[in-house]
Amino acid sequence: MADPLTLRLWVGRSSYLALAILAIFVRLLPLGISPGDIPAPDLLLGATMAWVLRRPDQVPPLLIAGVFLTADMIFLRPPGLWTLLVLAAAEFLRARQSLVRELPLMLEWLMVSVLLLGAVLVESLVLSVFVVPRVALGVALLHMLVTLLAYPAVVAALWLVFGLRHTAPGEVDELGRRL
Amino acid sequence: MARSPQNGDEFVRPIRRLLIGGIFTFLVLIFLVWRIDSPRVERIRTAIVDAVVPNFDWAMAPFTRLADMVDAFQSYASLYEQNQELRRELQQMRAWREAALQLEQKNARLLDLNNVRLGPQLTFVTGVVIADVGSPFRQSVLLNVGSQDGIQDGWATMDGLGLVGRISGVGGKTSRVILLTDSNSRIPVTIQPSGQRALLAGDNSAAPPVEFLENPDLVRPGDRVVSSGDGGLFPAGLLVGQVAMGADRRLRVRLAADYERLDFLRVLRSRAAERIEDPGSLVTPEAPLDAAPQLATEARNPADG
Repeated sequence: MADPLTLRLWVGRSSYLALAILAIFVRLLPLGISPGDIPAPDLLLGATMAWVLRRPDQVPPLLIAGVFLTADMIFLRPPGLWTLLVLAAAEFLRARQSLVRELPLMLEWLMVSVLLLGAVLVESLVLSVFVVPRVALGVALLHMLVTLLAYPAVVAALWLVFGLRHTAPGEVDELGRRL
Repeated sequence: MARSPQNGDEFVRPIRRLLIGGIFTFLVLIFLVWRIDSPRVERIRTAIVDAVVPNFDWAMAPFTRLADMVDAFQSYASLYEQNQELRRELQQMRAWREAALQLEQKNARLLDLNNVRLGPQLTFVTGVVIADVGSPFRQSVLLNVGSQDGIQDGWATMDGLGLVGRISGVGGKTSRVILLTDSNSRIPVTIQPSGQRALLAGDNSAAPPVEFLENPDLVRPGDRVVSSGDGGLFPAGLLVGQVAMGADRRLRVRLAADYERLDFLRVLRSRAAERIEDPGSLVTPEAPLDAAPQLATEARNPADG
């Protein structure tokens, strides 16, 4: 733990976990019980995507799966399905991380949007195939649009609070591998 | 840029792929098990919520209080108008109070004359709303009373005035209330004064629509909606709200319960209605035939004496 790089890795992982707990906690607060017109954005989802694109080593797949599975359980979603889709999107982005870090934020945003809207469509399709009662597709897409509109703000907040930015080309991790 | 820099090591990459494949399989399995054996997984879910959410309770209290204070502070802005309005309402209330007192006395007299017992077993447990579980489209709250307090699935919950929802999922220390606005909520209601039966079906809006109405012409906006007790689901006669015409020209119900501030909820202990099983001695005599005349004579004796 004396190694500053290892230390930074674990600080990053615990920050992500703390952020996840905070996001779940805020949504649990009994404040907005009455149904409103526009749903609040899912900040945890946006933060996860942004984090994977910036520091993929700090959000390992097991951590993402654990966090989203817990959220599935607490928020009465069909367990496993949404976690699976989020993890698939995260892994897709992780594989293209070196490509994305040279793109402007606008294109990154577009890429994340297409992925997540696709995830909503796939979820809706799977739920109707398995004959699970689900919310109307339009409403689910509206929720995802609100989440995506908040994405740049989430990116900015992560940068301000955790100092999260894209890895510079040539930066190395504790084993000397390139990030 | 086609290379994958963080996985440059040939030994790490297959292990990583194996791990991700394992997680995917696990998640698919969870989903399938949930779909096949939903009640058991839902019980596990209730156990998880029961273990996790009360731990947040100490932290939630200040946030909730703060939000309430902000709400209260906002209402200072309209203090003068509010004051005027309250005075006017108070004036009306005085008149109503007088009418209510007279009616109460009259009612008491009539009840006394008739020896009526009103729902003797309708008692309630009061619980505090500790969390808002559910996504923006699943309307449900968590109460801090559970099976330890004798709560059972299916019981009705009210705030002080009107029906709020139904218990669905009971843990040891917590229980979940599906609100009437949830899209899975269906309750049988009666619309007064026409006495029409209908179904109140939640659809994630603040005013749920009325469905399966036999004759919509008999129903007017402003009519009272109460629970009908059909199907033995709820006790009959709990106030639900008032009929209103929605913007989409559908009849909707403006709920009497104040969904903006659900703090304390009453869970009504409802008992299953007694069912009449035996055919009844009027139709077929219960006792053997030779014993029947004897019973009849015994019953007549005190009247004779």
